[in-house]
Amino acid sequence: MDSEGLIQTAVELLAPWTLKVNRPEENRVDVFVAPDHLKDAVKAIVRAQWGYFSALTGLDQPPAEEGATEGTIEALYHFCRGPVVLSIRTSVPYSNPVIESICDVIPSATLYERELMEMFGVVIPGTPSTDRLLLADDWPEGVYPLRKSFTGFGEQKLEEADGNAA
Amino acid sequence: METQRKFIVPIGPQHPALKEPGHFQFTVDGEIVTDASVRLGYVHRGIEKGAESRNWTQNLYLFERICGICSHVHATALAIGVERLAGVQAPPRAQAIRILMAELERIHSHLLWLGVAAHEGGFDTLFMYSWRDREIVMDLLESLSGNRVNYSVNLIGGVKFDVEDKHRDAILRGLDTLEERTRHYLNVVTTDRTFLARTRGVGTMSREQAELFGTVGPTARASGVARDVRVDAPYEAYTQFPVNLVTDERGDLMARFVVRTKELFESYRLIREILDHLPAGELTVRVPRKIPAGETVSRVEAPRGELFYFIKSNGGEKPERIKVRTPSLCNWASVMQVAVGHKLADMPMILSGIDPCFSCNDRMVLIDRGSSAQVWSWDELRRYGIEYYKKL
Repeated sequence: MDSEGLIQTAVELLAPWTLKVNRPEENRVDVFVAPDHLKDAVKAIVRAQWGYFSALTGLDQPPAEEGATEGTIEALYHFCRGPVVLSIRTSVPYSNPVIESICDVIPSATLYERELMEMFGVVIPGTPSTDRLLLADDWPEGVYPLRKSFTGFGEQKLEEADGNAA
Repeated sequence: METQRKFIVPIGPQHPALKEPGHFQFTVDGEIVTDASVRLGYVHRGIEKGAESRNWTQNLYLFERICGICSHVHATALAIGVERLAGVQAPPRAQAIRILMAELERIHSHLLWLGVAAHEGGFDTLFMYSWRDREIVMDLLESLSGNRVNYSVNLIGGVKFDVEDKHRDAILRGLDTLEERTRHYLNVVTTDRTFLARTRGVGTMSREQAELFGTVGPTARASGVARDVRVDAPYEAYTQFPVNLVTDERGDLMARFVVRTKELFESYRLIREILDHLPAGELTVRVPRKIPAGETVSRVEAPRGELFYFIKSNGGEKPERIKVRTPSLCNWASVMQVAVGHKLADMPMILSGIDPCFSCNDRMVLIDRGSSAQVWSWDELRRYGIEYYKKL
């Protein structure tokens, strides 16, 4: 199948849950779905054996200005097949950052989901392990380093850390 | 009682010298592993976060330092992605030099792995020889770039140095020696009976498993999955210099040895081909300091498999977000699933079989669920594996 055919197949498979389709560049297709439908969409792709789950990207979109509408976390589930990259994208608000786990469909997704939980504070019900994967054991709860609002712990924290070391 | 025969075996995270840290925990029932888990992050440096406060050029240096073994592919993946966002393309000669370096890097990486994996199996002669021969390609990389690692070949918009005739002659001479040695290694890993006892039928991953777990690179290809970014989505000069896919249907450790060794021949062939048909012309194009807003995915084939970059620009001098998914992460996920059901004695070889970017770990505690605990080092686990097989 040529890449155009692959893209068409993916778009058709995902049609029941699709909010929007975007073709950002050659060999790429973005399909936007609601968080509640993410798992169904992933299932459809896996059942049809359309490519493999390649990566999970988190994006933080803070509110444009102070007091404006709430910020969101966007999760991009990238699937690859031949030259084509399909990204199933879903956005969740800061106040309810919940996306259901896809681990019972793709068992190896556990590492990616743990990364998304730690770095962006997304809550993933049904994920098999919520243990720390990447952050240090003494990293404070509720601090998500890849959110734009995190800008480091500042001088004070560094001094404290130096003090502890001494 | 059933539960008392179960042990949890944590391995890692510290290793003082050669290798990198990671922590695994194996639950064992007698000799058989019944559960496996992994804890990463001991060398997590926050590079993705750091990227957001550096400009595009600074990031090229930062991302080259993600990995000391396959540094060049990281810089290449980033450079290609940023160039695409900027709407420019590196000149043909620069593209050819990029993949020339990538193949030299693959040779060094595969030979490094061959040595490490042989060592874990107790085959130190092979380890010594393969690392001695690896010095040939290290010298070539140094003569081209000035560095044994972190070659810093790339600029956004091209490469920094040219390949001259004197380099060409040295590379061709080096390849001749390496090719002869590689033929010998292929013979060893397919005929040596002691070695085969540790690799044949061990750690087998079926094609279905490899597909489902999203394995990449030689690990996937050794399970018969025809997956290679250089073939599936050729980038840079791979469009002019096509790669022949190396696969093996067996899916066991032996297949992983065979696939990587055969890939060395393919790299030798490619490099000769590139040197014979190196396009003439410029090495760089101009790229604006500010990169137009947009998102792109850049995929390249690292020695360990598909390297995935998601790059987002907001139109400024610094990236909005760079997401990196390294091939080892995919392969970790798969090996933790495949480890279940195998012998504890096979763990060192199974772990090194995926060519993990950090291979192992020093401290290992063997805990009885009841009371007694025993501390092992990775080296002891390795020796345990070797002794176990000596008794057979």
